[in-house]
Parts: sequence; structure tokens; C-alpha cells
Amino acid sequence: MAKQTQTADKTAEKPAENDKAAAMDAPAAEGKKAAEPQPVKEEMVHLIVFKLGAEYYAIKIEQVKEVNITPATTRMPRTPHFVKGVANIRGDIIAIIDLEDRFNIRPAPLLDGLNPDLTYTLVIEAKGYSIGVTVKEMPQSLNLPISKIDKAPSFLQDVNISENFIEGLARTGDRLIIVLDMHKILTQDEVRELPG
Amino acid sequence: MKSREQEYKEIFIAEALEYFDALNRHISTLEKQPDDEQTLAEIFRLLHNMKANSKAIGYLQISDVSHKLETAFSLIRNKELAFSDEVVTVLFDGIDLLGELITNIDSNQEAEPDPVLLRNLDIIVENLSDSAIELAKVQKYNTSKNLSLSDLVYIQIKKLDHLMNLVGELMIDRDRILSISKDMGNEELKTVSSHLYRITEDLQYSVMDARLVNIGSLFNKFPRIVRDIAAAEKKEVDLELIGQDIQIDRNILQIMTDSLLHLVRNAVTHGLETPAEREKKEKPRMGHLTLSAKSDRENVLIELADDGKGMDFKLIKRTAVERHLITADAAEGLTEAEVLSFLFEPGFSTAKEVTEFSGRGVGLDVVKNAIDSIGGRLMVKSEKGKGTTFSMQLPTSIAVKGALLFEVDEIFYAIPLIHTEQVIALDKDELHEVGDVMIADLKGEAITVVYLHELLNTDEHQMRLGDKSRLKGQVQNIVVVSYNNRKIGLIVDKLYRQQDIVVKPMSKPLDRIDLYGGVTLLGTGKVCLVLDVPATTRYFMNRRQAQEHV
Amino acid sequence: MKRILIVDDSFYMRTLLKNMLSDAGYEVVGEAPNGQTALELAKETKPDLITLDVILPDNTGLDVLKGIKAEQPDMKVIIVSAVGQEVIVNEAMEYGAKSYIVKPFSEEKVLEVVSKVLAED
Repeated sequence: MAKQTQTADKTAEKPAENDKAAAMDAPAAEGKKAAEPQPVKEEMVHLIVFKLGAEYYAIKIEQVKEVNITPATTRMPRTPHFVKGVANIRGDIIAIIDLEDRFNIRPAPLLDGLNPDLTYTLVIEAKGYSIGVTVKEMPQSLNLPISKIDKAPSFLQDVNISENFIEGLARTGDRLIIVLDMHKILTQDEVRELPG
Repeated sequence: MKSREQEYKEIFIAEALEYFDALNRHISTLEKQPDDEQTLAEIFRLLHNMKANSKAIGYLQISDVSHKLETAFSLIRNKELAFSDEVVTVLFDGIDLLGELITNIDSNQEAEPDPVLLRNLDIIVENLSDSAIELAKVQKYNTSKNLSLSDLVYIQIKKLDHLMNLVGELMIDRDRILSISKDMGNEELKTVSSHLYRITEDLQYSVMDARLVNIGSLFNKFPRIVRDIAAAEKKEVDLELIGQDIQIDRNILQIMTDSLLHLVRNAVTHGLETPAEREKKEKPRMGHLTLSAKSDRENVLIELADDGKGMDFKLIKRTAVERHLITADAAEGLTEAEVLSFLFEPGFSTAKEVTEFSGRGVGLDVVKNAIDSIGGRLMVKSEKGKGTTFSMQLPTSIAVKGALLFEVDEIFYAIPLIHTEQVIALDKDELHEVGDVMIADLKGEAITVVYLHELLNTDEHQMRLGDKSRLKGQVQNIVVVSYNNRKIGLIVDKLYRQQDIVVKPMSKPLDRIDLYGGVTLLGTGKVCLVLDVPATTRYFMNRRQAQEHV
Repeated sequence: MKRILIVDDSFYMRTLLKNMLSDAGYEVVGEAPNGQTALELAKETKPDLITLDVILPDNTGLDVLKGIKAEQPDMKVIIVSAVGQEVIVNEAMEYGAKSYIVKPFSEEKVLEVVSKVLAED
């Protein structure tokens, strides 16, 4: 029930599509209400948008393998605080991490009607392995022209995330979306955070 | 499909490598008993086959060298050539060359035999080896010998690894189905799933079996190696091999290769005394080295025993104190087993001199790490003046292990049985707070006990490993584990059964956390963490020290 | 189909011979890697022909030949030898071996000698 309510809310609120698969099949130039008039041929980029704290973040769809309701997660003692544990996703046992904890982002108060026990996991495809990233609200899919992504954002000092991890800043309507490069986040630097 | 040529080639190489190992073994025997007719006949037969086979398949260099060696041995057999030191050296070099030529068949690199060596062989064969002609010194072409296992398994081990992984996955799903079918109570499903159980079990054992090789394929390389090290060290060594037909997983044996080589080198160089020293101690001149293997259902035990001078306990203690591994006072009270466990500390070596074969800056810690990495156990016993024995307890298979399941703070854990000593239940009153830890008395043996919940889940700054008041309930379930000659009791919340588990490696980036050896899926679909006993022990020692410094 | 027993201590040689012979339509009824097994298999399988290597780990080929002939005087035996063993081959012929093949052998040579010996009566 909770999930459906939430889905309906989001559809009304955002110019995005809920069904990732459908979005991928949709012609790129279609359905982006927020887009201004644009040249037809412009290259499009497909993002999965989610919320950390009060801000919107996104990952390019090529880096996302699937989106699931977070499965039962087994806590792993003596791992960094942002590692929520390990979970069994179709026989693969993968690490589940929380980016709010990773980047010290203060969690936003939960929206009314949202079940705090129901979260979503983006399964990110890294080099030779997968990792799960939990988010509290259902991620959305968004198509927009590549020109909408500012490659060199100069005003990100307020954000806790190192600019190395940020691919750019997308603007759509009144929203700002920070586009992350997950592959950079999951490099050796990240692992060094782990005790060994 | 493999072509027939390819098949012939593989058979030829496998057989030739077998012959090569056997030749090395026999010629070492011959050196001690030059008149042994049977050994001579056997060498002759092996060289004869090598010659005929290589000629048939078209490896003419091999057949040429075999022919020369065969001729030399027939001269020796007919007493037309003396088995003198110079001759022995040339023959050893010739056999080494054969080995190199065989190994190079597959690497496609054309090894040009050393012309000096070929000339030396010719000199011997033409029976010109009187004092007038000096046998030229051959440049040793392989200064550091590498051991490689014979590939008698005609399938890439990678493929068997893959097969083993698939079987592991299958077993996990099988257990899940079995558990579901019990819950559903459907008789037909129960019958099918118990049949599935038996089949997968058969499959598992078949795949494990396909990966087994004779331990002799490694052991048989040692007579020659021991002979070479002993010659360089001017020692006399008699190597006894036992249990060559014991079977073990090929990958485990591969991982053990360097460790065993290292231990054998150490034994000859540092363990055994020189003939003169031995005579002074009224020991036989010839040092005795035993390399043995035996197996039970779960494990293979490899032992290397020497009858040399034994470890110098005083020197080990002194070094440990110098290295600040322990205080001088505490060192006094250590048991012998505890003293010996320092040997496995990184870089710890009591060798005074670094000789050509031993030392080389590699310590016993490297051996220990190799054995830890496959979930085995390394133990050492030593008696001053009598000798030292290293025991290596190894799993027969890497992927499937017997394990003990338990629960701590609602998380499932498993510990491989190879590390568990016993399981006991003790009343809280039988645990004593001593210093910063808890101690239990197990039939006269004082054992450090640690509450796993405290060790794993309490904030490190608030951790109090010696505080009994943190325990829940009156009766405590304790799993006694042993690592590096130390026993530790782990208090768990709930104890479950023993069962065979399929250990999956931890996925990245969590594979860097060494507290866990991997994960496994239980029949219920729940994830179970496999605790790594060496790392857990180290973590405990580390926290205990941190407490002391507070 | 004529039945043949192969005696040779090298697995490679046995494989080579077995393939040559079975390709040519003979039935290889057994392979013996040593003298003991050779004697047992000769008794058990009663082949039409035996190929016998002269150097074996436990026994000389000559002893095996004598043993076979003592039990089955009419058994046809072909000696397989290498260059330089003419003395042994001559001796074997005296003990009743029918013919010999010298290693390394060609397929034609093997089949020629085998069919010739099998045709004799």
C-alpha cells in the first residue's frame, strides 16, 4: 500500500517516469515536459534520480544494474559505519552501503505516509562486482539533453561530497540534481575507508 | 575436440615429467649406493623409454640427451665408467636439462642445450673421462629452482574451479528447497528433494574427487632438492617419504608448494647439524628428515620432522623481548607452545646467517599466511637436541568445509571445524575475571575466554573484555578455537549444528575486511558470516592490548 | 576380429600402439604395463597375438616371453625393441618370438608385421 501511495505522489510531483524499463524504451526526445524547446538531434542522457538528505542526486543508468526493494540485510560487525551489511540478491551476496552515512549527509525528515522500513536499493555495477546503495524514496527515471548537465560546477563548496565524485550538475525545471560518478566512488579510495 | 596429436603430446609430457621426477629420486639413491643394481636398471629403463617416446613423437633434442645419458648409465652398469663426483655432476646436469626440455615443450620456446654440457656428456659417453681431460664446469642455467606440479589432470584447473563453484551454488539452492519442502509438508516434494539431496552430494564428491592429485607429485621432487641443499651445506641427510599416495586438492597442493620448500630448506640448513656436530652429540652422522602425509575424512595432515638440534627456546624468548613482542617478565612464564608461536610473527627469524638456500628474508610467517589462506592449521613441536616437527593440517577441498553454526546478537556465524577444538557449556561462576580478560579452567588448562558479542558489537572505546557482568544468562556456550598454538574460548549466544557449508568469498569491497573468511547461505535463505579464526584471534589480541593502554 | 594384447611400460607407447591397431580393425583386449600383469592378462584374455616390450620394470621381456611360452606354446609374440638391442631380439627369436618391431616405428611397419604374423599358421 505504502509503495503505491508513494508512487502516485511522485508521478504527480515530478516530470519523470516510474518504470525504468519503459523509460529506457521510450524515444529520447519524448516526454520531457520540463525541457525547453531544443534541437531534435541533441544527445540525451538517462539518469536514475534519488534523494539523499534534502537534495536530489542521480546516477547514469549505465551504472545501475537494477532497482529493488531492499532485501533483508545481515549486519556485519566491525565494518565502516556506512556499510549496512550484506544481502542476498538472487544468489549473489553483495555489500549494501548508505551514501548519506558515507558523506555525512543529514537525513531529511521522512515524508508522511512513507514506511520507514521500506527502502530501495540501487544495484550498481562496478568493475567485476556489484554493490547496493540504499535510498529512502523510490528512485525515478529521467531523460534529459546532455547540455543540461553542467560539467564544471563551481558552487559546490556546501556539498559534503568530494568534487572528484561529482560528474556534473543537472538542471531541470526548478530542480538541481547532483550527478554522481559511482565508479569513482567505488574505487580504491573508498576501500581504504575500510579497516583491514 | 582434442586432436589425436594434442592428446599424444599431453600424454607424452605427463609421462616424461613423471620419469623426470623418478630419475631425480633414483639418482639421489644411486649417489649413496652406487652399486645398487636395481636402481641402475630402473634408471636405465626410464631413460630408455624417454628416448623411444621422444623419438616417436619427434622431440629429437630430448631423445638425443636421453640417449647420451642412457649410454652413460649402461657404461656405469657394466663398470666401464666410475660413478665419480665429476661424473655425477654431469649426470645431474644432464637430467636437469631433460627436465627443462620437457617443460619447454609447452611454452613453445626453443631451449638451446648448453654446448658445454653436451660436450661433457660426450666425454663421459666416449669413456675419455680419465684425469687428462678436465670436464668443463657448466654454467648453472637454473640458479633458483622453481617447482611446478605435473599436470596429470588433463583438464584446466580453472574449469574444475568453475565446476566446483557451480556445485556450491547448487548445494545452497538444494538446502533451500529441502527447507521449503519441510515447511510445506508435501510428501511428493519431500521425496524429490531428498533425492535431489543425494544426487548433489554425489556430484559434490565427484567434482572434489576430480580435483584430487597424489601428494607424491610434490613429495617426489624433494629427494633431489634435499640432496642439492645438503651438498651445498655440507650435510648428510637421509630423506624418508611417507604417504605419497594420499590425495589432496590440486590447488591446495599448489599453494603448499612454496611453503613446503621453505620448511625443507630450513630443516636442512638450520635444523640439522653437520656430521661432525652430530657425532659429537652421539647421533648418527646422517641427519634424518621425514616428510609424511596422512588423511582422515576431512583433512590431510602433512608433517615434516627432523632429528636436528631443535629450536633454541631461550633465543626465541630473547628475540621476542628485543622486538617488544612481550615483556621480559611475561616471557619467563610462557609455555613452550607459546614461545614457539613467536616464530610465526612477521619477519621473526632466529637464523644468524643467511645461507644460499635458507633465509632469503622469508620467514615462517609467510608459510603461516599461505596455510591460513586455505583455512588450514600450522603447528610446531620442538625439543632441544632432539629435533623439530612442523605439522600442517589442510582441508581436502577449498570450497566445501565442515563448520559449526552459531548465533550472536541475532546474526548467524560459522566457524570452520578445522579451527574448533571443542564445544562446552560453563556456568558463569566458572569464568574468572583475570586482569582484562576472562579465564576458564578446562581440565587444568587455563583458557582465555572472550564474549563474542562484546568483541564484535560493543563500541571499541567502551569494550570491556574482562567484565563478566556483560554476559547474558547463567550458562555460557563456549566454542574453543585454536590458532597458532593458542586456544581461545568464544562465548556465543546460541549454538546450532555442525554442517557442511559452501563458503563464498566476500564480495568487493568487503573482501578487504579480514575478520570474515566469506559468507554462506543457509537453507532458510539467510546469510551466514564465516568468521576467520586467525583474524578474530588477532583482533582480540589487539583489543586486549588497547584496553591495557587505557 | 583378431585380438591383441599390448605389453609396454610406457603409457605413451601403449596409447600409440593401441590407436594404430584398433584403427586398423584389431581388437586390443588388454594393456599390461609390467611383466606380472602381462602374464596374467595373457592367461586371462588368450589373445591371438602379443606385442612385447623387452624392457619392463619388474621383469625382463625375455622372462615374460618364456613364461608365456611355457603356458601357451603356440602364442604369437612380436618383440618391440629399440635400436641397440639386437642381442636381446635374437635371443627372443630363439625362444619363439615370431617377429620384431624397432622403436620408433611407423604405422605401416607395425601393421605389416602384425598382419604377416597373424596370417602364419
